[in-house]
Amino acid sequence: MSGPDVAWYVAVAAVLFGIGALGVLIRRNTLVVLLSLELMLNAGNLALIALARHWHNGAGQIFALAVMAVAASEVCVGLGLVVALNRRNLSLDVDSLSELKG
Amino acid sequence: MTGGSWLCLLAPLGGTILITLLGTRIPRVAAGWIATTSVFVAFGGAIWACLGVHSRPSPPPPGFEPFGFHPMPRGEITTAWTWLQSGNFHAGLQLLVDPLSTVMMLIVSGVGGLIVLYSIGYMDGDDEERRYFAYISFFVFSMLLLVEGGNLLLLLVGWGLVGLSSYLLIGFWHERPSAVQAAKKAFVMNAVGDATMALAFFILIAHTHSLSFGSAFSVHLSSTAVNLVALGLLGGAVAKSAQIPLQTWLPDAMEGPTPVSALIHAATMVTAGVYLIARTHPIFEQARTIELIAAGTGALTLLVAGLIALVQVDIKRVIAYSTMSQIGYMFLGAGVGAYANGMFHLLTHAFFKALLFMAAGLAIHALAGEQDIRNMRGLGRLMPFTKWCFLAGALALVGIPPFSGFFSKDSIVASTINIGWYGWIFWACGIAGAFLTGLYTFRLWFLVFPGEPSPFVREHHHRHGRLEGSLTMLVPVGILAVLTTIGGWLQWSPRWHPFTDWLEPAARTLPAAVPTNTQEYYTSAATVLAGLAGIAIAWAIYSERTIKIPAAPFWRRTLECKFYVDELYDAVFYRPGAAIANGLRREFEEPVVLQAGPDLGETTLEAGGFVRRIQTGLLRTYVLFLAAGAAGVVLAFLIAK
Repeated sequence: MSGPDVAWYVAVAAVLFGIGALGVLIRRNTLVVLLSLELMLNAGNLALIALARHWHNGAGQIFALAVMAVAASEVCVGLGLVVALNRRNLSLDVDSLSELKG
Repeated sequence: MTGGSWLCLLAPLGGTILITLLGTRIPRVAAGWIATTSVFVAFGGAIWACLGVHSRPSPPPPGFEPFGFHPMPRGEITTAWTWLQSGNFHAGLQLLVDPLSTVMMLIVSGVGGLIVLYSIGYMDGDDEERRYFAYISFFVFSMLLLVEGGNLLLLLVGWGLVGLSSYLLIGFWHERPSAVQAAKKAFVMNAVGDATMALAFFILIAHTHSLSFGSAFSVHLSSTAVNLVALGLLGGAVAKSAQIPLQTWLPDAMEGPTPVSALIHAATMVTAGVYLIARTHPIFEQARTIELIAAGTGALTLLVAGLIALVQVDIKRVIAYSTMSQIGYMFLGAGVGAYANGMFHLLTHAFFKALLFMAAGLAIHALAGEQDIRNMRGLGRLMPFTKWCFLAGALALVGIPPFSGFFSKDSIVASTINIGWYGWIFWACGIAGAFLTGLYTFRLWFLVFPGEPSPFVREHHHRHGRLEGSLTMLVPVGILAVLTTIGGWLQWSPRWHPFTDWLEPAARTLPAAVPTNTQEYYTSAATVLAGLAGIAIAWAIYSERTIKIPAAPFWRRTLECKFYVDELYDAVFYRPGAAIANGLRREFEEPVVLQAGPDLGETTLEAGGFVRRIQTGLLRTYVLFLAAGAAGVVLAFLIAK
């Protein structure tokens, strides 16, 4: 068993998560926001798998699989919303979708 | 004999239910006949019960029982079923048949039947006759429940129900505001008495765990407890019988139809207080002070009511005050321990007072509702039958032999002599009361009946047919006139006393309240002379006009205002209550309670307006909050670790 230390994996995961979070926060295009969300999820997956390997515990891998399933479902809904927005000729800019403003 | 008591109780109730259920499917007159029949059936039941009691063996001799009171000598209690049960307390739906209750049953159903019969003529043409007859037979049922109830709880139930039917009947003409006011006043005044009675019963339950006549009376209570119980019972009796200080409702109750005044506010219900004292006399005898307070109340009331009656101008109110005065005599008799004499006066009073009211009703009926005696002069010329019947009633009321009042009233006054030094005060009150009775009764008589008819009478008098009223009205008046004349011969204490003997097992006269024959004769002479003096002065003032009425404006006004008792109660109870209520409305309800609703709404709106600024509608804000929250949670975990 060789390769980089588990800390590196976790660091990469943290960086990926940060990039994803930043994308969700500052990008205005709905599709890019969805992409950034996927990035955050997969950063989580990476951390789970790395730590599973580190602790010799299979539960982390199972969690990663579950997260993939959730991510797939989430993408379906998200893309569905995008299609629906497009069909109504609405803007894909998230800032313009602010009808719930109090 | 128990069958008779149940028949007596349930027949009027059946009449009420029948009239109520049949409603408009029967003609109006039929409702009256149903009510009359039901009450006379009750009278039959009462006779049955009375004969049953009569056939029982005589009671054991005096001094035979340890407490001087045997629960039910010569009587019987029948229990239909257990009505209430709570722990070791239970009260059955039970009736008591004994000499005392049969006397009351006979009076209530007998005189009641005559008065209901009279009502058929009197109420003829009223819009709501059916309601009237349903109420009045319900009243008879309630009164019979009161006198037949086999324990104190049922007595209280009857007590409350007669109050209710009295309220309904006083306010029968509900389109008159004064009648509604009078009904409310009577109900509230009676509720005071009901409350004190209920409190007395609570004390009894706490000490004896029972409200049955036998066991509740044979247990010896502490002197405080027994005084409180007696005081509570006296409160109930005073309220129901319109004695001082709860007397103000009775004159106002004259707003009801005249037969109601005759039945409820003269012959039966208002005398229930006397019955209560006689029925619960073992308690009163243990609380002798309270019993003497009852006698003193009676003595005071008979004088005060007699004085007020001197200046009243409404024919029914004069008779109402005389009722109060006569019940004062009964309280005096029962209070000094002469229960049988009090009950005998109750009996004769039922005859002559019902007669007076019904004769007055004939006059009112013939004058199309006029009740002011100043307008009635010379009515006797047009209504001779009414005149003579009224005269019989008036002579009985004053106590002139051989009319019935003589036999009953004199023995009450005589029985006060031997009870102690205060006995002479009571005695003097009794004699003075007899003088006042003569004066106010014959003031009424001389103002209304003799002489030439006044223009008012000529103008307003109209005959209903050939007679002075319908037959249903004249027959009961005639029967009562006969009873008023001869009814007192039943007993003349110095010579023969079957009535006292009859009541002996249920309410034995205290030895101190038995006068010697000489005392009886002297007392009779004094009361009759006082009564005659009253009549003579009334004759001189109101008929011959040889004596001028003394002009004492202060006293006249005081009497006309009934000693300002109404005003006093107004000032003591009503005004402070109203002031507190108004003050609370002004200071608390309007600024606090009523303002609370709008305030609450505004506060909520403001809070909402503040909080809603968080909702920006921008996705990124939400995400930022989310991320900040998650970061916060992570930090918290790290720090906690």
